[in-house]
Amino acid sequence: MKRRFSKSRMLLALALTGSASLASAQRPDPGKTFVPPPPVPEAPYGLSDLDAAGPLFPHEQLGDEAYSMTPPPVVVDGSVVDNAVPQDVQAAGYTLSDFLALAAQNNPTIRQARLQISGETAKALQAGLYPNPTLMYSGEQIGLDVPGDKDSPGEFQGLIVEQRFVTAGKLHLSREKYMRRAHVTEHLAIAQQFRVCNDVRRLFYQTLAASQVLELRRELLKTAEDGAVTARELYNQGQATRPEVRRSNITLQRARLDVLTAENHYREQFRRLVSLVGVDFTVASVSGSLMPETIPLSYQEALSTLLAESPELMAARAKLAGDRVTLQRERVEWVPDIVARGGSGYNFDAKETVAVAGVSIELPVFDRNQGTIRQAQADLMRQREEIRRVELDLQQRLATTYQQYLTSLQIATEYDRVIIPEAEMAYEELLESYKDNRVDWPDVLSAQHDLFDARLTQIQQLEMVRSNEVLVRGFMLEGGLQAAQGPTPPGHIDATPKPR
Amino acid sequence: MPSNEDRRQFLKVGSLAAAGGLLAGAANAQSPMDPKPMPMSDGHAGHANHSEKPHPQVPAGSDVKAEMDGFSRFKPSRGNDPDSDYYLGKLMPGFRSAAAGPAPFVAPDLEKLPWKMVRGAKEFHLVPMAVEREFLPGYKMNVYGYNGSMPGPTIEVNQGDRVRIVVTNELPEATTTHWHGFELPVQYDGSETLTQNPIEPGKSFVYEFDVHEEGTFFYHAHVPMQEAFGSVGWFIVHPRKVFDPPVDRDFGLIFQNFFIEPTQTIADSWRMDWNWHTINGRSGPYTTPLVVKHGERVRIRLLDFSPMQHHPIHLHGHTFWVTGHEGARIPKSAWIPRNTELVGIAQASNFEFIANNPGDWMFHCHMVHHMMNHMTRQVGPRIRKGVSVDRYLANYSNRPRVDATRDDPGFDTPGYPQEMKSMNMSDAMMDTIWSRREVQGMRAMWPMSIMGLMTALRVLPEDLYHKVIETDEEIPKGSIFEEIVRRFGDPSTYQSGHNRGMHGMEM
Repeated sequence: MKRRFSKSRMLLALALTGSASLASAQRPDPGKTFVPPPPVPEAPYGLSDLDAAGPLFPHEQLGDEAYSMTPPPVVVDGSVVDNAVPQDVQAAGYTLSDFLALAAQNNPTIRQARLQISGETAKALQAGLYPNPTLMYSGEQIGLDVPGDKDSPGEFQGLIVEQRFVTAGKLHLSREKYMRRAHVTEHLAIAQQFRVCNDVRRLFYQTLAASQVLELRRELLKTAEDGAVTARELYNQGQATRPEVRRSNITLQRARLDVLTAENHYREQFRRLVSLVGVDFTVASVSGSLMPETIPLSYQEALSTLLAESPELMAARAKLAGDRVTLQRERVEWVPDIVARGGSGYNFDAKETVAVAGVSIELPVFDRNQGTIRQAQADLMRQREEIRRVELDLQQRLATTYQQYLTSLQIATEYDRVIIPEAEMAYEELLESYKDNRVDWPDVLSAQHDLFDARLTQIQQLEMVRSNEVLVRGFMLEGGLQAAQGPTPPGHIDATPKPR
Repeated sequence: MPSNEDRRQFLKVGSLAAAGGLLAGAANAQSPMDPKPMPMSDGHAGHANHSEKPHPQVPAGSDVKAEMDGFSRFKPSRGNDPDSDYYLGKLMPGFRSAAAGPAPFVAPDLEKLPWKMVRGAKEFHLVPMAVEREFLPGYKMNVYGYNGSMPGPTIEVNQGDRVRIVVTNELPEATTTHWHGFELPVQYDGSETLTQNPIEPGKSFVYEFDVHEEGTFFYHAHVPMQEAFGSVGWFIVHPRKVFDPPVDRDFGLIFQNFFIEPTQTIADSWRMDWNWHTINGRSGPYTTPLVVKHGERVRIRLLDFSPMQHHPIHLHGHTFWVTGHEGARIPKSAWIPRNTELVGIAQASNFEFIANNPGDWMFHCHMVHHMMNHMTRQVGPRIRKGVSVDRYLANYSNRPRVDATRDDPGFDTPGYPQEMKSMNMSDAMMDTIWSRREVQGMRAMWPMSIMGLMTALRVLPEDLYHKVIETDEEIPKGSIFEEIVRRFGDPSTYQSGHNRGMHGMEM
């Protein structure tokens, strides 16, 4: 390191000697030779290729092939979910509603959630179906010796029909149980829609904020460029040293890197957004406003709305109702079904046609379904606790999110109300003073930097406001690419050949 | 005591008959000079003669001579002998006789403190207070002073008077008043705590003493930060025996410095540097020129009451005698002829000279940084081509991209530019500056050269003096100056002043 440093100093000395001698060779006029200031560093790779006014990737245009990964149509409840992508959306200025519409049509988890409902209703259908009759051929006491005939075909040969008569409304309860589970899945589907829409909103605002941050980074770059030019002007008047000019180079290069970072971050956010939406766009611009359009929510409003209307909570409550039916269902399970049978055949002993009839019933002597009833009772009580757990979990998530929402709202509001106007007025007053030749330009540049920097902070806070506001107003639901949830946790009483 | 305006009104009415048609039909101010002779008034300022340039003459009623021992009161001259009493006009009297008493003391832009006789003493009432002073038109600065003025009003007495000064403190903090240079009983010296208890807010203290001195004195708060904030005023003592030779004009100028941030009006007395400079509470070009008649003997008393800066004071076009300091009148044998006098902090110097060179002459501190207000660096849009600050002001969310192109060949020279682009002056400011009679007929762009600790000495032939000071006639810009050039200079090489607008500025 030391060696490198001394080498660079040597090079600098050589450069200075060279430039001085060159200058003196070209301009022998006394009083006109001087060591020029250090040069402006070259821009980082990529910065000059990006046109601030044009698309970020000018060589990539939207085309037919952009949609080659379009998923096949999905049929839900007999109707085809529309899968069309609005190809007429302009490459510039996607709005939030564009993305919401696209997500409603293309996000796979919304389809999954709808399919969950269909699955549960199918189960309900199945569970309520009446058992089929049994048709039997019966040959009894084949080879029985009867008078006049030894080794007759049998005492009885005939057809018997057996039918199980379900008692205690078991089928009705089973169907109701699964219909209630379908109801749970409906709530879960709504929750999933919130998950997707909330994520679309949050990612949209994050993308929009990234886009505005990028614009401000470009303004800050212009300020840094002015700073570099100003440092050279000061240098030429003997009012800045070479190290000060070099510092302006460092500031300039950092501002350039900040622009590149902001551009990369914008692309990342846009790509995350289109992944969520479920389509395949190239990076384009977004348009919208980060300023909240509705009046702020109080914590009590947010909490009461959440506890009253949260889809997660409603699903849990619906699940409790389902579990009650499950318990009812298990409680009647021990009630014996009546199995009746009857038929007719030929009695080779009596040589006449006879009939058979029988009724059977299982005696609930040992197994009265005690264990499963107890399990269903436990499940019911578990679900009561689950509702409470969900309530508390929501409150816990809301506490953190609301705090972030409120803090960022307070900060963003005060930036909007006081700090930005003050920074603007400070900048304006210094500009006016500069116009009157009363202050130095570096002071104006400093105020300009402060103004843009304050705007940057405001945008970051507005992004927080909108992200958290979406959660607070959207029942704290996020995770738009997680698989849609089913109505029951694993291990529930479903493992029977016929769902009950 | 009549104010300056009352006095001017009196002079104007008293000399209406003499006004005549002087300068009537004078050429438009900024057009090339009219080569035709100018009609002159009769008798008031000499006669138009065959050379078309009127010769100045000693006014009727005065018995002084136009020339003594080779020194002429009407043209630049030295005299025949450095040992002569009249060398450089050393003892050449003014037009005013000694018997007429001392010439009235005039501190431009300042009032005099009234008094009344109470129990055998001239009683003055002096009130230290916070005041607002308009340094430049529109620039009202917050400073401390007395009786609503910064500097305070002038106390003017005669040698031998007994004075009583009732000081009532209207500042929010304690103060004392020091009578700078007086040999008075120690209890009235005004040194806080050393000689008296401080005067608390709302309270009064009575100073009373006999004045046995004569000369140039001043009073000021003896609290350092109040001094730095402007608490000072003249205390002039006229001699029992009028100083010989008598003068026609007796001016007083108090030079001060302040530091006041841009967009700020409150002076910062804690600063070690200074960016506003005032003469009698005004900054150039709002300082009021000293207007005298050609041939008069003039005294200028100059006090440096800057907190930390000495001032090398330079007068153009004349050589003056330093005839006194704040301590006392200097014996004539020790008078010094100078063009530049270094005046130290809390020092006063008296300059005396015969105004024998007509024209508008700079009178200023020669410190480069004092010849303007607000030294600012020249970098930024003002030295970039095609850039206007208005473009920045038009949009705060998107600033113009900086253009680093510097194709001005001047940038080949290290150090360029050195010329200060001086303070931007609004039309309203210009109108106020031009509205004063004392500046009528000066060259069009003169306000761009009189900045900071600068004022002008205008030496005018009597007829032009009359027109400028004693009439309300409209006088075109540049006309008086051009007439002086015509009479006393070389009109063939003279170029008139530029029109309004600052060269090289596109702000």
